Amino acid sequence: MIYKLRLPLTILCFSLLFSGCSSSQLTDLFSSYYQQVRDAKHAQQQGNFNQALKLLPEKSEFDASYNLYLLEQGRLHYLVNQYQKSENAFEHAYQLVQEENNKAKIQLSKGVENAKAIMSNDNATRYDVPAYEQSMLHSYQSLNYLYQQNLSAALVEVRRANLVQESALNDNKNVLYQYQQQLLQQGVSEQNWTNNLPSMDNTIGEIKNGFQNAFTFYLSALLYEAAGQSNDAYIDYKKALEIAPENQFIQHDVWRLANQLNMLNDITLMKERFSIESLTEANYTSAETGQVVLIFEQGIVKSKSEYSLNLPIYTSHNDMRFYSVAIPSYANYLTEYSPARVSFQEESFYAQDLVRLQSLAAKQLKEDMPMIVSRQIARLITKEEIRQQLSRKNGDIGNILASLYNIATEHADTRSWSTLPDSISICQFSLPKGQQTLTVNINGIVKEISVLVNENRKTLITMSAIGQNTDYQSINL
Amino acid sequence: MNKLLAFSAIALALTVTTACTNKSVVRYGDATAVETTDINFGSTDLQKVASQMTDSLLVSPVVGTLTANTRPVIFVESLKNKTSEHIDTESITDSISTKLLRSGKFRFVDMGRVAAAREQIQFQQAGGMVDTNKAVQFGQQVGAQYMLYGNLASIVKSNKDKSDVYYKFTLRLMDLQSGLVEWADETEIRKTKEKEFVSW
Repeated sequence: MIYKLRLPLTILCFSLLFSGCSSSQLTDLFSSYYQQVRDAKHAQQQGNFNQALKLLPEKSEFDASYNLYLLEQGRLHYLVNQYQKSENAFEHAYQLVQEENNKAKIQLSKGVENAKAIMSNDNATRYDVPAYEQSMLHSYQSLNYLYQQNLSAALVEVRRANLVQESALNDNKNVLYQYQQQLLQQGVSEQNWTNNLPSMDNTIGEIKNGFQNAFTFYLSALLYEAAGQSNDAYIDYKKALEIAPENQFIQHDVWRLANQLNMLNDITLMKERFSIESLTEANYTSAETGQVVLIFEQGIVKSKSEYSLNLPIYTSHNDMRFYSVAIPSYANYLTEYSPARVSFQEESFYAQDLVRLQSLAAKQLKEDMPMIVSRQIARLITKEEIRQQLSRKNGDIGNILASLYNIATEHADTRSWSTLPDSISICQFSLPKGQQTLTVNINGIVKEISVLVNENRKTLITMSAIGQNTDYQSINL
Repeated sequence: MNKLLAFSAIALALTVTTACTNKSVVRYGDATAVETTDINFGSTDLQKVASQMTDSLLVSPVVGTLTANTRPVIFVESLKNKTSEHIDTESITDSISTKLLRSGKFRFVDMGRVAAAREQIQFQQAGGMVDTNKAVQFGQQVGAQYMLYGNLASIVKSNKDKSDVYYKFTLRLMDLQSGLVEWADETEIRKTKEKEFVSW
């Protein structure tokens, strides 16, 4: 009786698994995110941002990766200067992140998701927006408000971005430790799997963690300065300098404000750390000049790809067998961009790197790896158990069906915010007041920019260079 | 088999009952009731801040002497939002200025409507529709003697178990002639939210 019921029961189980799934949720189970966004990213690379918006994989509010969809949407709307639409998408995404943060410690719905994920793959779980993506969300939201002439709302976003980075710093260590312990319990020691992992060290480079973003700090410093809060600006310039110590423009900013605010300790420290000539040669804003700040975004971050990892696992009969699991990974190289060159009359300035988002993304993934591997092992064991049961009770057909299902659903979680820029760099210098024309040379494309420079004020120009497409926006701060 | 029957009966009953009771309802509520939907700045905070500030201003002895024989003219500079939330600060200043006006001790000029007022006077003067003898003249308005301004700052902390937010609202009254701050006060609000242990 029971044996006869086994197959129908399994079918019932699977139909429960898929019940309530919209078609997009089914897509999530059987295809990876990087495959789903491939067309949209291609269009974005060509500079067809509107088309990219249409090609984004449609998600409904009940989907596990709806928040990710909103992020992609917000970014593409930002690129076509639809600030209001971008603002709405980001605001909605922020609310979802907040909801997630405020949820109860034990969530029953998460249990159901995890059960689904154990039967299929991690794409069934809710997308957890990592800290660096959250800080970029707030940075773009801040620019959205800024271009809608709302400095005070832009400052609110900047403060939110700082809160994200602060709490990320606190949470970081606990989570890492917890999953490493869990892996040990599953009988996998760290050497065992880290040796097998694809290396991402070239992509990660020198950065210390995956959430501290110099761009966010620089932007917030810039806006604080525009609002006349020099002290707040000074703190954020200093944080940005800590993350990007090579950047001379930030060195100048810190030096300028340290002198202005009379921070004697810091002035002495800076004199020891940096050559004083390079700090003082900067042409300070004077009565007849204003400053131009250019922020360049280059390229698009690469999506995660799938990598199959062979893991030794002890089965219930205590014999070791190798199993292959799919894990996400980033390509182990960074695209080289030649720095943008800005010319004004006879003078030329070169942009300097602020942040490589690709490195942040790779670092974040590396930090998540213990969690990903440990979940994969749990899933592997469950799926293997189901296969054995089915083959025992239903013979070859059960075995084949289960194996087919396992192969079809074995996908790594390759979800990540894929429309972000790859590299962000800055350039700043003083110009005589009035209407001025700059020549920017970026990715081999020459572009003339006409800006109004106000006396003793800053003018911000943001430029995104994707493929052959260079667009810019400017605003007087 | 019996168990299965019982189970399906319960499931059916549940489906039927949820379908019956699951209706959205619209009700009127008390506008001054304490609102604790979430931890963000809400109507109760706004009301608390506005009423405490006006009470403090009206009972202050300095303001008592200022308003002894005259009704000083005040203008409200916008409140500076230094929190990490998008708060409509104009709504707070509106509440405060309305309460102060209601007290009958102060008069206000509204800087937010200067452009509209100018347009109206221009229309009266040059529109050709209004009797120029009765038209409102330029240069007759009364300037403010005092400026009301303030800050709203917040400190937000949260961890796995709870979140805590602290608001500090500072309001000041400056004599525009002498530049002296005649009155200042602050209100603090602290809200904490403990996360639930289990939920759906």
